[in-house]
Amino acid sequence: MLENYLPIMIFIAIGIAIGVLPVLAGFVLGPRKPDSEKLSPYECGFEAFEDSRMRFDVRYYLVAILFIIFDLEIAFLFPWAIVLDSIGMFGFIAMMIFLGILVIGFIYEWKKGALEWE
Amino acid sequence: MGFERFVFYVFAVILVYAAARVITVRNPVHAVLHLVLAFFTCAGLWLLLEAEFLAITLVLVYVGAVMVLFLFVVMMLDINVSPLREGFVKYLPMGFVVALLIFAEMFMVLGVKNFGAQAVAIPERHGADYSNTREIGNVLYTDYVYPFEIASVILLVAIIAAIALTMRRRPDTRSQDPVAQVAVRREDRVRLVKMKTEEKSG
Amino acid sequence: MTFAPLATEIFLLSMACIILIVDVFLRDERRVLSYALAQLTLLAGALISWSMLGNETQVVLHGTFVSDPMAALLKTSILLVTVGVFMYSRSYLVERDIFRGEFYVLGLFAVLGMLVLVSAHSLLTIYLGLELLSLSLYALVAFQRDSAAASEAAMKYFVLGALASGMLLYGISMLYGATGSLDIGEVAEAIALPGEQGIILVFALCFIVVGLAFKFGAVPFHMWVPDVYHGAPTPVTLFIGSAPKIAAFAMAMRLLTEALGGLYGSWQDMLTILAVLSLVIGNVIAIAQTNIKRMLAYSTIAHVGFLLLGLLAGTTEGFSASMFYAITYALMAIGGFGMVILLSRAGFEADRLDDFKGLNDRSPWFAFMMLILMLSMAGVPPTVGFYAKLAVLQAVIHVDMVWLAVVAVFFSIIGAFYYIRIVKLMYFDAPEGDAPLAVSPDMQIAMSLNGLAVLTLGIFPGGLMAVCNAVLS
Repeated sequence: MLENYLPIMIFIAIGIAIGVLPVLAGFVLGPRKPDSEKLSPYECGFEAFEDSRMRFDVRYYLVAILFIIFDLEIAFLFPWAIVLDSIGMFGFIAMMIFLGILVIGFIYEWKKGALEWE
Repeated sequence: MGFERFVFYVFAVILVYAAARVITVRNPVHAVLHLVLAFFTCAGLWLLLEAEFLAITLVLVYVGAVMVLFLFVVMMLDINVSPLREGFVKYLPMGFVVALLIFAEMFMVLGVKNFGAQAVAIPERHGADYSNTREIGNVLYTDYVYPFEIASVILLVAIIAAIALTMRRRPDTRSQDPVAQVAVRREDRVRLVKMKTEEKSG
Repeated sequence: MTFAPLATEIFLLSMACIILIVDVFLRDERRVLSYALAQLTLLAGALISWSMLGNETQVVLHGTFVSDPMAALLKTSILLVTVGVFMYSRSYLVERDIFRGEFYVLGLFAVLGMLVLVSAHSLLTIYLGLELLSLSLYALVAFQRDSAAASEAAMKYFVLGALASGMLLYGISMLYGATGSLDIGEVAEAIALPGEQGIILVFALCFIVVGLAFKFGAVPFHMWVPDVYHGAPTPVTLFIGSAPKIAAFAMAMRLLTEALGGLYGSWQDMLTILAVLSLVIGNVIAIAQTNIKRMLAYSTIAHVGFLLLGLLAGTTEGFSASMFYAITYALMAIGGFGMVILLSRAGFEADRLDDFKGLNDRSPWFAFMMLILMLSMAGVPPTVGFYAKLAVLQAVIHVDMVWLAVVAVFFSIIGAFYYIRIVKLMYFDAPEGDAPLAVSPDMQIAMSLNGLAVLTLGIFPGGLMAVCNAVLS
């Protein structure tokens, strides 16, 4: 089974090499004259006002977690789709119940207005 | 076997490095990114164990979705790390001693004698047409249908909990209501008032 | 394939989903409909599982689900205890403006998790049931979003609970590695075979016992108990402190006696340590508390110590004594925390011991109910707490562990001090404020029934005791 993944490994190796080599080349070959001013943040000539990080609204979190839940649900669908012909009606109904329970969650979040951004 | 072992060690070294960086870097965002790297190499290790479905799910769900959530949370918290690190050096020797003790104990209990590689047979490798996903599918929806349905209930609880705990209605936001916009009639917008024409005063 | 043994679970799940959907369509002033539906669901569920009490043991769904008399009895008691929890919680939630349908839906899902746990016949089902229960409880603890104490409690509960789940899962995976099966019956068979897996099994057992002890709140895995009980909204404290203890007992029965019965010698020692430490720490530290929720939290720890005593005896007598203890303790716990709710009102939490001063002058009837509950927790006859303790001690003595019984008696005498202190505050001290006691009718009924049940079961303990014996033999 693992031999099927050899091309992917080679692909990843080449990808990493292409990503790393130019940076490395610049690091080795490029001239360097460090200066503290070069590292300071530039904001139209005046000193920076505040930290560059800022708080996210909690609503992003809500959307992200709802996304993850349905993402997980999709993950369960893949093996089901592959073996659908061999697990028969029982397996089909099992998945329908699974989806049904999550559809109830979907109706709930829709009616609650969790999907609206306001 | 030789090449496989080489790949294993490459992944393992990166995994240990990334995991160690997660708890040692100063910037929480960097910690999250190291965690992504740890998950990614972990997926590689699982692939070596022929658990391809789990490996791909790990990348898909954890690297793709859960880590995005982590980033949100880390940014939302806006942690100032320096107070958290106070006392780190002070407790370091003590922590080191405790860790060493635990390691020694575990080594004595778990040593090679009981948990070594020879205690468990090496599983046989499957052929090129073997599908781990198919194997999982064949039992997940039949033999393990009860745990499978419970999993969906747990996901439902997660939806309810997330909404109940984080959703707030803001009365001051202005939003569009497309239904109302479409359903609006001319009479709601324009009011025609009949007036007498005014005489021009002489 | 038959689904009849799952009737309670299927019914509860369907109703929880229906209530969830109905609730989003309700206006705020009709919210009480969700509450009524939830109560009806629990009562009907209790009827269904009670009707299965006489059925034979059945393992269905490829060995992931078992329906036996023990499961039927424990499910019935969990459902009935939760009815009490919801009754007490209504007025509290309304007064604090958190009377929302989600509270009841999450509560029902937590109950569903407990039912799954109670009739689990696979390590996987045990884990999933536990997660369903815990996730719902984490959300319930944080339910009062604007309370900083509740958020902190939820955070602590979540982090420590996740750690404990991880421990349990690690133990389960070791067990799976050593025996090659998740089915409890097959695991037990594999352990019975002589082999060289001994140390791996003991290693797995350690992690499983740690996970269990955390869920019970036994010392030294009790750190979360006082903080969570204190920080959570009182109805949630009421819930966490009662029904999940019955579920934890079931989990211990499934894991320790059914799956790992072959390792009895190993886990008996571990439970002995947990039990003695819980009795000592719980009873001694409770004395120093000035907050009644914290005091009851430490008293829970002490009661868990007693519950473990019955388990570690390892006999049917011990198990049925423990079961009796778990069920009756849940009954006492909802009464004790219910009284805190009863004395509270909007904007005021009656969670200090001083708030109980002079309760007799304000309401002799409720003071009497509290008297019964406190005496029962202390283990004074003729209340039910006395018989629960007596049965456990008998079981321990019958396996020749007299020293353990002596330790237990000694520390429960120390423990009696802080229960009696409340009685003294109620009857012999002058009330601090003279605010009238406004108690809603359902609350009055619940509290009276609760107190009288504790008294009646104490005078006639035979019936419940006989049922507990019957379901295990």
